[in-house]
Amino acid sequence: MILSIEILLLILVVILAFVSLWIRDLVSSVIVFGAYSFLMCLIWTGMGAVDVAFTEAAVGAGVSTVFFIAVLFNTTRKIRFNPLDLSSKIFATFICSAVAYLLFLGITDMPFWGDANSPVNSVVSKYYVENAYSDTKVPNLVTAVLADYRSFDTMFETCVVFIAVLGIFMLLKKEDDDIHLGSEETDQENDSLIIRVASRFMVPFIQLFGLYVVAHGHYSPGGGFQGGVILGASLILLAMAYDMKFVQNLLSIKKMIIYAALGVLIFAGWGLVPVFLGNNFLDYTAWAQLLPGTDGIMARSHSMLAVEIGVALTVMCGMYGIYMSLVSDGGFKKGL
Amino acid sequence: MLINILVVVLFALLANYLQSPVVLSILNGVIVVSMVAGLLFFFATSVGVLRFPDFFTRLHAAGKGDTLSTILILFSCSLFALKSATYLDKATLLTSIKILLIINFIFIGSPTATHALIEAGYNSEVDPWENNK
Repeated sequence: MILSIEILLLILVVILAFVSLWIRDLVSSVIVFGAYSFLMCLIWTGMGAVDVAFTEAAVGAGVSTVFFIAVLFNTTRKIRFNPLDLSSKIFATFICSAVAYLLFLGITDMPFWGDANSPVNSVVSKYYVENAYSDTKVPNLVTAVLADYRSFDTMFETCVVFIAVLGIFMLLKKEDDDIHLGSEETDQENDSLIIRVASRFMVPFIQLFGLYVVAHGHYSPGGGFQGGVILGASLILLAMAYDMKFVQNLLSIKKMIIYAALGVLIFAGWGLVPVFLGNNFLDYTAWAQLLPGTDGIMARSHSMLAVEIGVALTVMCGMYGIYMSLVSDGGFKKGL
Repeated sequence: MLINILVVVLFALLANYLQSPVVLSILNGVIVVSMVAGLLFFFATSVGVLRFPDFFTRLHAAGKGDTLSTILILFSCSLFALKSATYLDKATLLTSIKILLIINFIFIGSPTATHALIEAGYNSEVDPWENNK
């Protein structure tokens, strides 16, 4: 990428980060934060990390903005300034500056960016670049590293998403008695026909694209996380355009929890089967004995697809469940 | 949708005759013209968003200009992807058709988003601008 454009983007990112802290109106702050994420996505694309940029565009600029707005919908959009907070803010500023100073001290010991002699570039990534294709027959190195070589990492990331959904769900969930007290107008329906028709037209294509991203992660940027977020976003779009009841007919809250757990189970179970076949946990080569017509290499390639499906299932249900919990304040009756 | 299919057919025809210099120069012209027109509309959009007096007129500028300029720029990008390939294969054709598909979703999504914003503003009783002087 051209250096001057990169510098310009980085300056803009820093400015936007300060602006999003500065603004009093929290909704504007969220929008600025979305722009910040999108600029980071551009920078990563320029550095060649297309998978990361894709994730940032889907999660950072897309879904997390929706989450923030869903939270603001149920809380307040103004910051109330309390003079008593000032001392704690000064204390926090002091702590942050001290940590930043220590981090800057640490930077001097790190190898230069792209240094060929650093341990990361000379041993680990060299092995991946040279051997990943012959080991797994997957052209996209990122998917091979993510779903095969380092699948422990990915498995626990999936668990983190699952735990986040469970945490938000259980913290916000209300008993049924509380819901009936406050709200008679449960079936508020969005009146705009245009929005409903347009989103009904878009949703199949969004879901098709999500499935394509999941299945095509071997050959192009993408994979379980990005595809799952896109699939979840299509459900969120339906929940916004129609009402909460319409989406819950498609995927009820109970099924959401079950499917999210099922995704983790697919991942962990797929990794557990090789243990019974005499291999290590998450060592997919043993699947060649079970899958017909495969050798050890193709078994690894196919196993990545199965694992990605599990990730996508968990992430889809996770995004959907987090949105539904946040926007309806745990009641699942009335939302945006 | 229909326009899109027609454009895809046009692309297939273009791909057949891509090597002849007349077609290449015409293609170049179309790319430059649609890119410049898209940038002009983008400029008009940003001027409109900054200069118009109230919420509704600003969104009017943003909704229309943004959609048209994005469509023009993406169209020129897809033609450029077709033209800049040294030899034509399936991957190049697929790239340009994918960009054309994005145009469809911009064409539906962007005006709908503008409509949703304007309706939300109307329902929450944003005062429209009136020329009283």
